[in-house]
Amino acid sequence: MRAALLIAGKDLRQRLRDRSALMIAFLVPLGLAFIFNLTLGGLSSGGTVFTYAVVDAYRSEVSGIFTEQVLPLVEEGGGIDLVEAASEAEARRIAANGEVDAAFVVPTGFGDAVQAGGSAEIRVIGDVDEPIATQVARSIANSFAADLNAVRLSVATAAGGDPGSLPPAELDAMIARAAEVANPVVVADVTTTKKELDATTYYAAGMAVFFLFFTVQFGVSSLLEERKEGTLARLLAAPIGRTSILGGKLLTSFALGVLSMTTLIVATSLLIGARWGSPLGVAILVLAGVLSAIGVMALVATLAKTSEQAGNWQAIIAVVLGMLGGVFFPVSLAPGILGKLSLLTPQAWFMRGLSDLAGGGAWTVVVPAALAMLLFAAVTGGIAMLRLGRMARP
Amino acid sequence: MKALALAAVNIRRLLRDRSNIFFVFVFPMLLILVLGVSFGGGTDPRFGIVVGDGVGPLGEDLLATLETIPDVEVEQVAREGDLVTAIERGQLQAGVVVPADYDATILDGRDVEIRYVARQDELGLQLGETVRAAVAEQGQRLRAARFYATETGGSLDEGLSGADATAALIVPVEVVTTTAGEAIFPASLGRFDLGASSMLLLFIFLTSMTSAVALIETRRLGLSRRMLATPTSSGTIVTGEALGRFGVAMVQGLFIMLGSLILFGVDWGEPLGSAALLVSFALVGAGAGMLLGSVLRTEQQAIGLGLLVGLGLGALGGCMVPLELFSPAMRTVAHLTPHAWALDGYAELVRHDGSLADVLPYVGILLGYAALLLGLAAWRLRRSITG
Repeated sequence: MRAALLIAGKDLRQRLRDRSALMIAFLVPLGLAFIFNLTLGGLSSGGTVFTYAVVDAYRSEVSGIFTEQVLPLVEEGGGIDLVEAASEAEARRIAANGEVDAAFVVPTGFGDAVQAGGSAEIRVIGDVDEPIATQVARSIANSFAADLNAVRLSVATAAGGDPGSLPPAELDAMIARAAEVANPVVVADVTTTKKELDATTYYAAGMAVFFLFFTVQFGVSSLLEERKEGTLARLLAAPIGRTSILGGKLLTSFALGVLSMTTLIVATSLLIGARWGSPLGVAILVLAGVLSAIGVMALVATLAKTSEQAGNWQAIIAVVLGMLGGVFFPVSLAPGILGKLSLLTPQAWFMRGLSDLAGGGAWTVVVPAALAMLLFAAVTGGIAMLRLGRMARP
Repeated sequence: MKALALAAVNIRRLLRDRSNIFFVFVFPMLLILVLGVSFGGGTDPRFGIVVGDGVGPLGEDLLATLETIPDVEVEQVAREGDLVTAIERGQLQAGVVVPADYDATILDGRDVEIRYVARQDELGLQLGETVRAAVAEQGQRLRAARFYATETGGSLDEGLSGADATAALIVPVEVVTTTAGEAIFPASLGRFDLGASSMLLLFIFLTSMTSAVALIETRRLGLSRRMLATPTSSGTIVTGEALGRFGVAMVQGLFIMLGSLILFGVDWGEPLGSAALLVSFALVGAGAGMLLGSVLRTEQQAIGLGLLVGLGLGALGGCMVPLELFSPAMRTVAHLTPHAWALDGYAELVRHDGSLADVLPYVGILLGYAALLLGLAAWRLRRSITG
């Protein structure tokens, strides 16, 4: 045990003196998290309030229902903002230049046409680059039109297809009664919590776990280096057990990994305002993450013949797993097979655990994600252990 | 001539290393594929729909209406619990739960409740309007049938068929939707197109940055000094190194462009304009790589700094998230990077059907960057091998 600690201590000192570990474990991930936050931190997945212009120059009783009751009610609910525009041309201009996301135009004579049962239209002009805002505006107008049409259809159906044959007074009374009939389908709103990281935390966590897989290789792969340099033979000749040597190397990886993650978590919290969530939950995820990284990287190292080869393979594995695991962009949210493939990486589980924490849960919510990572660690680490013994030969 | 031989050596050194083959050729294509598959469909909101067993024709009608909402993707989800989890995680943006007794309740003359599930944010509220519109659309028929039943004493079923027969007779109030402005991302944009030009630039630059390692190795092992001992001028060595870096960038760039064209049908726009942008950006990459390789001392520094600068400038320049989504201030900052100018050039070619003449301003700016970087690098490199 003492020997393992000594070896780990020596390795750690060596790595911290050597600039490469410092770069990969601390500076590069921190620098990238900083740049990503600067460029992409403002993007939100929750959407923004849509701004709609309203043109209702010739206000009538019917158009008033839309522009003074229906639209303000939606605005009150949040999600949209209304501004008035003078004319259709003006509305088109500000929709084209992005000043508003879409515009509602109630044309001249709309009210009269509706009351006479003639053809009438509401125009929606959308900013071509805001398809969702345009679609939502169309839906709001559609709901209103459907209401008007429901009354028309009701009266016509009850009158046997020919409401024109009714005396005007009776028709008016019928329209009033038809307007009172409620839609039997009622929409009840159910709101859910959000288990997703904000952009700042997402990139901070993504970069931390991406470079973690590079950081831990400094310990395991140094066994290959020691063999090449001939120092492994000397270690083996000393009265030190083989397990102590292996233990020391694994301990180096573990210490470097935990040190790197902890530093990055503290630094990103303080410098760019990343919100990692419950410290206990984060600690569990970090420990499980470091173990899975050591397992995967150790396995790759045991398959390589030289330290260069190991380094190359590890880089490829770390980059591919990182990309699939969604450290650069959220692959696990992708539809179809790719989203499921993503969960075959420890990185995806690390990010998922943090996302679950961001939903405001207690530390226990990270347990499934932590278990998934520990499973990776056990499987890859287990195979590596079986092979590591062979590596610790001169 | 000697410079060309030197350049060839540089390219051979790159290709001999197996892991380089992966990072230079395979990985960019993989990323274009993953980006295209996961995000190429655009950012249409995705709805999940849970339908109870035994929903009849009325429920089917509602589903059909929901499925035809434009610019929204709809998929069926097995259970409400799965729907909620998917929305919480962001895999789906919203969802609708239609109960199993939807038809039966309506035909019984009672109100039926469908649940709209979403997060409590702006997008959740906004998408709710599309669901309400679909329900109101369905409601026309249902309300008419109800009205018919109360007015005439007939059954709801009779009312429904009566409404269907009458629907063609009434003149509906319509909503006419048009769009204004010129699309930033035209509908003709293929699902891999946007990612392809971003990845091309990101990787040309990244490879150039990491190729600094080879240059440092050359210096550290004293290869450059030995070359100087032969009748080879320092100018030839510097030219050779620059050409080598440029060659590597061109080989990679052509591979990515042709490969993505063949595999994913990526549209690169007019070939001449596309080639001009590639050549000028490859020169920028060559200059940046050579500068890094002549300034730094150790390979480890070059790897770390190369990754940081390569990925960092790529992100800043709009290779990870389209520039169009940046804030105006950030977009200005982004144009300090050569990436942003090259991306603008490709946008001009691919999205606005531009030609060589249209991208010449961007090519000019890129050549300016290249001249500056190559000049600085040549000066530093000459000093470091002769000094």
